[in-house]
Amino acid sequence: MNNGSDPLIRLNSVTKVFLTDEVETHALSGIHLDIRPGEYVSIAGPSGCGKTTLLSILGLLDTPSDGSYSLKGHEVANLSFADRARIRNREIGFIFQSFNLIGDLSVFENVELPLTYRGMGASERKSFVTGALERVGMAHRAKHLPSQLSGGQQQRVAVARALAGRPAILLADEPTGNLDSRNGEAVMQLLKELHQNGATICMVTHDERFAQHADRTVHLFDGRVVEDRIAA
Amino acid sequence: MNDLRFALRQLRKSPGFTFLAVLTLAVGIGMNTAIFSLIQDLFLRGLPFSEPERVVRIYGESKERDLKQMPSSVPKFWHYRDGQTVFSSIAADWGNGFIITGLGDPIQLLGGNVTANYFELLGIHPILGRNFLPEEESKGDVVMVTESFWRKRFNSDPMILGRSITLNGVPTTIIGVLPNLPISWFGRDSEIFANKPFEPPSLTKERLMRGVSFMRVTARLKPGISSLQAQAAMPALFQSYKEQHPETADNTWSPYLVSAAEDVTGDLRPAFVTLLAAVSAVLLIACSNVANLLLVRFTGRKREIALRMALGAERRGIVRLFVFESTLVSVIAGVIGLCLALWTVSVVPKLAGQNIPLEGEVKLQLPVLIFTLGLSLITGLLMGLYPAWQSSRADLVDGLKEGGRGTSGSRGQHRFRRGLVAGQVGLSVVLLAGAAMLVSSFVRLSRQEAGFRSERVWTGGIGLPPAGYPDPASRARFAERLQTELRTAPGVEASAIADAVPLSGNSSRAPYARADGNPVPVNERQLGLTRSVSPGYFRALGIPLLAGRDFTEQDKLDSPLVVILSNSTAKKLFPNENPIGRQILFGTENGNGLPAEVIGVVGDVRSQQLAKANDVEFYRPWPQRSFSFCNVLVRSATKPEATLGIVRLALNKIDNGLPILQPNTLDAIVTQSLGQERLTMTLLGVFAGIALLLAVVGIYGAVAYTVEQRTGEIGVRMALGAQTQDVLRLVVRQGMNPVILGLIIGLAGTFAVGRLLTAQLYQISPYNPLLLGATAIVLVLAALLACLIPARRAAHVDPIQALRTE
Repeated sequence: MNNGSDPLIRLNSVTKVFLTDEVETHALSGIHLDIRPGEYVSIAGPSGCGKTTLLSILGLLDTPSDGSYSLKGHEVANLSFADRARIRNREIGFIFQSFNLIGDLSVFENVELPLTYRGMGASERKSFVTGALERVGMAHRAKHLPSQLSGGQQQRVAVARALAGRPAILLADEPTGNLDSRNGEAVMQLLKELHQNGATICMVTHDERFAQHADRTVHLFDGRVVEDRIAA
Repeated sequence: MNDLRFALRQLRKSPGFTFLAVLTLAVGIGMNTAIFSLIQDLFLRGLPFSEPERVVRIYGESKERDLKQMPSSVPKFWHYRDGQTVFSSIAADWGNGFIITGLGDPIQLLGGNVTANYFELLGIHPILGRNFLPEEESKGDVVMVTESFWRKRFNSDPMILGRSITLNGVPTTIIGVLPNLPISWFGRDSEIFANKPFEPPSLTKERLMRGVSFMRVTARLKPGISSLQAQAAMPALFQSYKEQHPETADNTWSPYLVSAAEDVTGDLRPAFVTLLAAVSAVLLIACSNVANLLLVRFTGRKREIALRMALGAERRGIVRLFVFESTLVSVIAGVIGLCLALWTVSVVPKLAGQNIPLEGEVKLQLPVLIFTLGLSLITGLLMGLYPAWQSSRADLVDGLKEGGRGTSGSRGQHRFRRGLVAGQVGLSVVLLAGAAMLVSSFVRLSRQEAGFRSERVWTGGIGLPPAGYPDPASRARFAERLQTELRTAPGVEASAIADAVPLSGNSSRAPYARADGNPVPVNERQLGLTRSVSPGYFRALGIPLLAGRDFTEQDKLDSPLVVILSNSTAKKLFPNENPIGRQILFGTENGNGLPAEVIGVVGDVRSQQLAKANDVEFYRPWPQRSFSFCNVLVRSATKPEATLGIVRLALNKIDNGLPILQPNTLDAIVTQSLGQERLTMTLLGVFAGIALLLAVVGIYGAVAYTVEQRTGEIGVRMALGAQTQDVLRLVVRQGMNPVILGLIIGLAGTFAVGRLLTAQLYQISPYNPLLLGATAIVLVLAALLACLIPARRAAHVDPIQALRTE
């Protein structure tokens, strides 16, 4: 959905090279990618094509070896560790394949976690968390521990955690990978609803069925963009 | 056997774990073995006498006058010997020094004079010759020497019996060679034992029969008679002594018995109870560290456990396997600990100086070996049991899955680990606080003003054999001539003669009373510390003269008797009065003591113990109260060896047959007087240091393990925007939680055990808030450091890597 506005994310000639035992591995080579506000982009490709590396760079978990990356118009490729953490906390919401909820924290506390790192006051945090849990339909489970929830419910909580801080973009890494098809479909439906309500989403998936939920699919192969297709 | 082989293989597979666990336990077991070995030597092994539990000492005491451990007089000993019915034998001895001439340079050796039955009572049999005969208690000049004397001085000559040696100027026949004697009973370097125990030099028959007390009485209980029964029989015996000897000075000191074992170690008990508690705490800390390691190790082998159980192993078989492994670790540690203990025990006598009656050589004794083996087995069992039991509860299905689901263990295991850390910290706090108190107490004691200046003062002892110096006049002449020679000797700033040197452990006491009014009878008088000194003594030691005058050459044997009082004595005896010119009665002569005029008052001196001020102290002029042994004190800028040479030269001009005994500096004597305190402080300090180190390692291990287990979680937190300080705070907070709990437990424990230390502390309370605060700070800082290292590692976790692992 290219609506002609300024891109939220712009990658320009991004390259990522890993050095292992003096062997250079090019995980990404000259990636150009613009993601505009409100877009729902899926990144697809076979295993080892660089999807997760690309998502890590987009999520500021990693830095490119070369090229530039601007987020909301600001260059972020070479920021310090602390600055990247701050931007990650405010602008990016992560949804992981294995949910990555913290077992010792309740549902509420898990969702609250990124807001505490932001230094937000308790009452404000409560309203943000409650809002996020309500959006994913998990408000009634706020006091539960993750171990007391099903996989699908855990992933909904993970989505709520990603949403709670009202980030500029949601990055989802194989969000259905650890779920059965029914729960997987439900999570995809949830992401679709979020997108329809204006959320920008970038999702990595190797499952063609789920990739079709996005309105734009970027295909990677050997670290290069080989296709950038907008759904009809 | 299979289990043993498997356990060995497992330990070989992880040398890092094995090294750390064995080292940690070896330190704990080694320290315990070392202290047990000392306790075995001092308290448990028993004296090398025949049936030592039947040997007792008989002392006198007067509770009203605060007199304890009083020796016996000759008439009292005779009365006990002839009237008692509860002992199979009763003997007496007193320590003496002997100058030996005719075997090269004159030498002075230590020993004593004993009753004929003394060695027989103890069950010590001569290796050559015979014991004394009863008639030799009053006739003939005979002597028994020790094996070391025989070997050293007579080159193990088998013909030594019947040979004559000159002791204190008197030809004396050697009748027997004794085996080397235990120093805990006889003192160090006791080699000569003579007869005639009832004829001490410098005591007239009249004084002897008036109850001058100088004999140690030893008795052997009759078979079947307990110490309590014997004690119960003593009052009647004592009552008859009082009735038959109404004039003696010692007839108000009631008798009490002390077992031989308690007599030689009574003072050491509190210190060793403290040390035993300390090493037990060190071992507990070491055990909890290794238990923690084992829990991690066993939990990490879930898959192996599940597989074994799937193949039919019973749960107890799994527990046995793991307990086997932990016991193997502890037994290896026990062997290393034993070596460590042997080394430690060999160092202790050097640290203790003269203050602990330890035999010089280190021997590996069977009880110590059994103790170490037992301790190792119990340690291994206790450490391994809980981790083995916990690990054997593995979920079979989960455990068999490829990779399992991590090894972080259950909440119960987490609680157990946190509990171990809290326990370690608690014990470390108690030990650190105890060590801090002892160090602080020792520093205060070391800085305690003794009332005299010990620097640059040399001292040495000189025995005056009765053959050459039979009376007070000859001893007074000797002192005067020696002082005259020393006064003109090069480098000598001041010199003096005294019967005993301050803080050397030697002293004498005499009954005293104000002469005015109605003095109480001699046998009801207090005993006052009395020192015989020559003119110049106070100047040589820098003791200030506060009133009146010092002794002069004019205070002779036949001059009016005079005395100088310490300041405290003057205040006690003459409150709000000028003591100068007043009269004090001393001794037992004439049945009422002899009056001496107070001519001066000097500053107080802590001559008995640095920790305790003397209640009273009298100074008498040497010519008026002399003994057959004196000490020379010389203040000089020259080195001690040079001073010895100067004194030797001066002495040779008077009598070249007199050896100088135990030359030393007064500084060294003052330092040696704190030997036991120094030993306790050093050992407890070392144990506390080890405890702190082990606790820090334990905290580090627990936090590092948690960080390792939570790497994925930390990665998630970082992905969600956690900054470095957020991760640091998280890890440190969680690591410090059990530390704070342990700190609270430890401080409470310190209050509880404070009473144990009170008796060993000087001018410091076991509840001193500053010390407790400092201890808490040291521990918190150490714990913070232990947490920060893994916390920093956590803060540098690569979130991508962490998430991938997760």
